[in-house]
Parts: sequence; C-alpha cells; structure tokens
Amino acid sequence: MAMAAPGQLNVIESPSRGSRSVDCFEKLEQIGEGTYGQVYMAREIETGEIVALKKIRMDNEREGFPITAIREIKILKKLHHENVIKLKEIVTSPGPEKDDQGRPDGNKYKGGIYMVFEYMDHDLTGLADRPGMRFTVPQIKCYMRQLLTGLHYCHVNQVLHRDIKGSNLLIDNEGNLKLADFGLARSFSNEHNANLTNRVITLWYRPPELLLGTTRYGPAVDMWSVGCIFAELLHGKPIFPGKDEPEQLNKIFELCGAPDEVNWPGVQKTPWYNQFKPTRPMKRRLRDVFRHFDRHALELLEKMLTLDPAQRIPAKDALDAEYFWTDPLPCDPKSLPKYESSHEFQTKKKRQQQRQNEENAKRLKMQHPQQHTRLPPIQQGGQHAQMRQGPSHSIHGSQPAVAAGPSHHYGKPRGPSGGPGRYPPGGNPSGGYNHPNRGGQTGGAGYGSGPYPPQGRGAPYGSSGMPAGPGGPRGGGGSGYGVGAPNYPQGGPPYGGSAAGRGSNMGGNRNQQYGWQQ
Amino acid sequence: MADFQTSTHRARWIFSPQQLVEKYTAANQRARQTLEKCGASLMEVDSNGSLSYPEPQTTASDSAEKHSRVKPLSNEEERCIKVFYEIKLQEVCNNFHFPHKIQATALIFFKRFYLQWSVMEHQPKNIMLTCIYAACKIEENHVSAEELGKGISQDHQMILNNEMIVYQSLDFDLIVYAPYRSVEGFTDYMEEFCNTGEDELPKFKALQDTAGREVDKMMLTDAPLLFTPGQLALTALRTSNALHKVVDFDSFLSGIFSHKNSTHTMGELLESLDAIDSWVRKYTSPSEKELKHIDRKLKSCWGHDEGKKREKKSKHKSRKSSKEAQNV
Repeated sequence: MAMAAPGQLNVIESPSRGSRSVDCFEKLEQIGEGTYGQVYMAREIETGEIVALKKIRMDNEREGFPITAIREIKILKKLHHENVIKLKEIVTSPGPEKDDQGRPDGNKYKGGIYMVFEYMDHDLTGLADRPGMRFTVPQIKCYMRQLLTGLHYCHVNQVLHRDIKGSNLLIDNEGNLKLADFGLARSFSNEHNANLTNRVITLWYRPPELLLGTTRYGPAVDMWSVGCIFAELLHGKPIFPGKDEPEQLNKIFELCGAPDEVNWPGVQKTPWYNQFKPTRPMKRRLRDVFRHFDRHALELLEKMLTLDPAQRIPAKDALDAEYFWTDPLPCDPKSLPKYESSHEFQTKKKRQQQRQNEENAKRLKMQHPQQHTRLPPIQQGGQHAQMRQGPSHSIHGSQPAVAAGPSHHYGKPRGPSGGPGRYPPGGNPSGGYNHPNRGGQTGGAGYGSGPYPPQGRGAPYGSSGMPAGPGGPRGGGGSGYGVGAPNYPQGGPPYGGSAAGRGSNMGGNRNQQYGWQQ
Repeated sequence: MADFQTSTHRARWIFSPQQLVEKYTAANQRARQTLEKCGASLMEVDSNGSLSYPEPQTTASDSAEKHSRVKPLSNEEERCIKVFYEIKLQEVCNNFHFPHKIQATALIFFKRFYLQWSVMEHQPKNIMLTCIYAACKIEENHVSAEELGKGISQDHQMILNNEMIVYQSLDFDLIVYAPYRSVEGFTDYMEEFCNTGEDELPKFKALQDTAGREVDKMMLTDAPLLFTPGQLALTALRTSNALHKVVDFDSFLSGIFSHKNSTHTMGELLESLDAIDSWVRKYTSPSEKELKHIDRKLKSCWGHDEGKKREKKSKHKSRKSSKEAQNV
C-alpha cells in the first residue's frame, strides 16, 4: 500500500488511496509519442531508479477506463517472468498536470494514469536498424530463445500476446529480451473457445488464419509472428511486407504455397476463404528462397511458418529444436555487446532535419535512393557485431545514415522511425524505392492518408486499420509501451462487415466496437 | 505459473482481523476529522480519479452550530451500511443474471474499497454500482454503463465518475479469486477421491449447490478479506457435507493433504475452517429500523452534496421532521 509522503499527512489534502502519485517520479524526457499519449523516461525520486512511464489515454472513452488498459494491467500483474516486461505499478496524477512551463495545459494533461515499467534500452527492430548493425548467429539464437521462452510462459498462463513484432520486443543492455505491449493481449481458455477478434497483430506479422477471418484461434497466432521475426533476423528485412490484407495473404501464399485441404484441413471453411483463395496454383518456396539459411534454422522456420495453425510448432517444441542445441550455441545474454541507448523522440528533430536534406538532395538529383536493407547476420559464430559509428555511406548509398539511429520504440508511431527506408508510411515497402515522403508528415498524427481507404463501408477490408493503423503496417503506435487502444480503428465495419463485432455495438467508440469483442 | 499463490490477492489483500479493525478505524477517523472541520464529509470525485473534500466552513458560529447537530457514524454503524449495500449488490447482480464470479468480484472490490474509505466519504450506493460495472469489465462480461444504469434507474455518468477512484483504491489489483471456482475444483476432486459412479453424480451436484449458497453467505462477512478462497470453499463444503453426508470429510481433508505439499498443517487448516464458520454465525444484518436511523445520520454527514437534493425535497422533509418532532 502506498505511504503518504511526509508533510502530506494532512487529512484534507491527502486522502488515502491505493495507488501512488506520479509525483513520485521525475520526468526526464519524453521517449515516445503517438496518438495514444506519451511515454516518458523517468526517475523514481526516492530510489533514483530509471523507469518508463506510459500514459494511458483516457479521452474519447464512452465506457470509462479503456478495456484494453484493463486487460494489459490484469495480464501484466499476473505474469512474472524474466522475458516479460515488468509492470512495476500504476501511478496516478491527481490533478491538472503542468506542462514544462508550469502552466496547466488545457485538458490535455488533466489527471492521468501511468503504467510504470522497468526501463529498457532498445527494442529489437530499433537495434536491428542501427546502421551497420549485424547480429551474430549466437546473438540471434539468444534473442530467439528468450522470445520463445517468454512466449511459452504466456501461453502456459493462457495469455495470447496478439501483437508480437520486433518493436514490441524490448532489449536491455544486459542482452535480456522481454515481451512488451500487452495492449492487444488477452486471456484465452482452452475449454470455452470463445470467438475472438481476428483484427489483431500487425499486418506483416499476422498469420493466414486471421487474414482468412478465423475467430477461434489460439497460441499458434503468436508463433506465426515469431516465425516472421525469425526469418526477418536471418534475412535482414521483413519477409511479408504487405500493404493491405489481400496483398499480405498473397505474399504469404507466394512463399508458403497456397493453402488447400491437404496442407490445411478445414481451410475452405474459413470465413473469407472463397474471397481470397489464390487464383493460380502456388507451390511452397520457403526452402528455396531461404536456401542460404543454416539447415537447422530453415527446419525450425518451416515449422513456424506452417500455414495450418494446428500443425504450426508450439513455443515449447520450438525451444527443443535442434537449432538451439547445435553449434554455434545461443550466447549468454550478458556476453552481448552493449549498445548506446538512443531514443526516437530525442532524435526526431535531428531526423526531421535530415529528411529535409534528403528531400533537397532528391530535388537536385531527381533520383530515388536505394532502399535500406539490414545486413544479414555474420555467419561465423562467436563474434559479435561491431557497432559502426557514424554514417556509413558505402552501405546506404545516397542515403545519409542515421548515426545512433533510433532504436527505441516504447510505443510511438512506428512509421518513420525505423531508420531510413524501412516501413514507409504509405508507400510500397517492397518496391525498392525509398518513399520520398517517408515520414514527411512527422509524428503519428499525420498518418491519416495512408494506403488504406479510410473506413470504407462494405468493401472487403474496407477499414483495414486494425493493428496496422491507418498509417501503414507499423504506423499508429501500438509498439513497445504503446498504450491500450491505439491499434483499434475508430469505426467502420470489419473487413466486409463479417463475423467480427457485436452488431449493436458497431460504430460506437472503440471499446464498444472492438474491445469487448473478445 | 500465475495462480493464486503468486497473485496480488494472496500477497496484499488477505489480512488479520486486527489489521481490518485498524483500517476501518483509520478511515472512520479521517471522515470524522473532515466532518469536524468542514461540517460534511462527502468527497467529490471526477472521472479521472481526482478528489476534492468539502469546503471547510469558515463562519465559526455557523459551523459550530452545525457540528453540534451532525454526528459521525461509528465503526459498527458503518458496517451496517456496508452490509446493507452488499446485499443490494447481490440483488442487482442476480437481477441482471450475471455469473457468480461477477458478483463475487464486485463484492470483493466493494469490501476492498471500504478498507480505504469511510461510507461517510463515498456514497456506498454509487460505489456498489461502480464495483459491479468494474467487475463486469474485469471478468470480460461487458455491460455498458448506460445499460447498467438503466437497469437500476440510475445515472450512469455517476458510475463512470467513480470508476477511477475505485481502481485507484484497489491499487489496480484487479484479479480476484472467488471461492466458487475452488468449490467446483474441490467437488471434482471429491468425486475422484470417492471413485464416484455416474449414478452418484447428482449427490455431488447437490453438495456443490449447497456449498455455493454457503459461499454466498460468507461473501457478506469479512471472511473474504481474512481467508483464502480455498479455505472458504472447504468450509462451505464441510457445512454442505454435514447436510448431504456425501463423503467422510476428515478423510477427504487428509486426502488433500497427502496430495498437496501444503505449508500449513491440518490443524491450522481446521482452525481456519472453524474461524470462518464462526464469522458466518456471528454475521447479523441490521434491522430495518436501525438502518433507517443510521441512514439518516449518514445523509447528514454527507452534507453539502446533498444540499441541492435537500432543497428540492425541503417541503417533504420539513413535513417529515415536524412529524418526528411531534412524535418525540
């Protein structure tokens, strides 16, 4: 129970209440910002400990405290594991908060609820995107094993994460990896087999069963995302960068083959199968495309990227895979190099300036810069990546590298922050061109005009915003410590108005519309 | 594994009887002090959880006069009020046909809330409804605030206004373990323990149902703040079994002990079961007359906030008071 601070014992000023005040923390700097609110790096005044404070956005909630935040709090209070982010406490801001100048800032900061997390230096995507970064094989094995261990723990405790992606895997300078952002997570029970929403998981990491409209699913959805991340680490870039749901399915089919009743019994009964069944035969090409991968890695990847969720490898079995038990073995997290921590928010201005320069350069040269691709892992075991300092023009061509690039994604809009060339907010991620306006609008707010038709009614995938958000696969927050609800679209029917959603709640606020729909 | 053993429920919300008394007394004392200073004790809450106490009375004569009239509630009187609303809470949940666990969660929220606060500070009717609303959210059984409000002809904005202060007072420890599931679990185990055949299953069903009603009774006492859900469930089953005579309860308990490497001894467990029994036996619900009296006292403690309503009803009230005066 919270203790009243000395001098606060006055009955009138300090009623007893369970949770502490945010005043116990000194805000150091903002490290993330999105449509949901802010994430701050802060210091606990009493202990000096550095933490991350994630503000829970409260406005626009017709149903009070957001259900997504309730779920996240419930789940995080229940889970205690070294590979799951630790929710230290919830603190509240009792009254109108002051901005930096000490003025009350309208309604914006009026009271607030913050989730206090242990502070983590990086996230996986941010780390991978550091210019010149090359993960070693033992390093990848180390991260993958931690990811699977944490996820297995969640699944054993009947929690589906439902938003596994690189930016939600936080990494500290001890090499520890922790699952974060349980804003889309929820408990599942094997018995009840309730209908769950299929509008979860960031598009690029979303499994085929969800794309085909399944509403009864289980832990296998997270394992598909793990497979995508695994392949991404080995391949150096995202493997299924679809721009909308049909394209996403198509990319999956191109690599994993078309689903049929042989490789996926029951697939024809999925709600949207007829709408999206491939028009031409497609063979599974995974082994061919990734033939340069190590044999054991490929074997494991095959099992993760299995179309049929019933046959997809569970986390527990994945941990037993040969891959983790053959040389080079996963390294000890503590042996990993320490990388300079950097925050997206800090470097924002710097990057804006940079973008301006790029634009100017483009206007002069009238040419598109090459798309930045991560470097594939170093194949010799045992060696660790050396961090390249400063710009590395030889690799990035005409694109100025972001030295100390943003490698921190507590939950700001993910679109433009991933370093040059990755995840353009509205362009064609696979086109090989760097979108000239990438991130031009800066910040989360400018993402309104992505590639998605805003909330089209009736059309299949009319409002594709779900985890992807209107700003592209990574846009719209929802990463890292992203607050509760940002991944929910504001309205419009689910893809083509099918199964998802309770009729009477449709079109209401996002809680009613999605949150309650399991 | 995340279960009761590692839960916040076990770590932070099981108290000793002494601790409970201290907490009730502290809340009561604080409300008394406020009443003395301000002439009223009801707090205003905002949907973001911010609170304000009533304005202190400045005119000395006015306040002095008023204070002589307004008497604070005693601990025992507070208990009566809480008991009344806990029964109400069960009724509301039954009327909405909510599952048992919602009722239990809401009740435990309500009890935990009033560990931190006095009924003189927050109106129990509002808190009760807010606890039901919160329990529905937490147990993934959604009812909109509006729906809930309509069902009981109350303004739902009041529910939303109180939601945050409720979560804060619970310190956001939202997962509670109700004894109903433990009853189910132990009954299943009993069936196994007795090698039950198909034909005997109705006996166990009856045992379980009676035990469930026993738990309902316990939920109205302080027992859920003092004992674990498992202990409450076993006590309920013991009582139920005494009626239905389904198993030899002592050997069943020994059976549990041989399976579980429990940190408690059998003697300690039996002590707890007996203690729970005595809490249930001790339980008394106040008479209507008592309640009316306490309720009137409580309303005068709330003071300012009731001011507007008092104005509206003033005619009615004055008539009533004149009648009372005549009666005296």
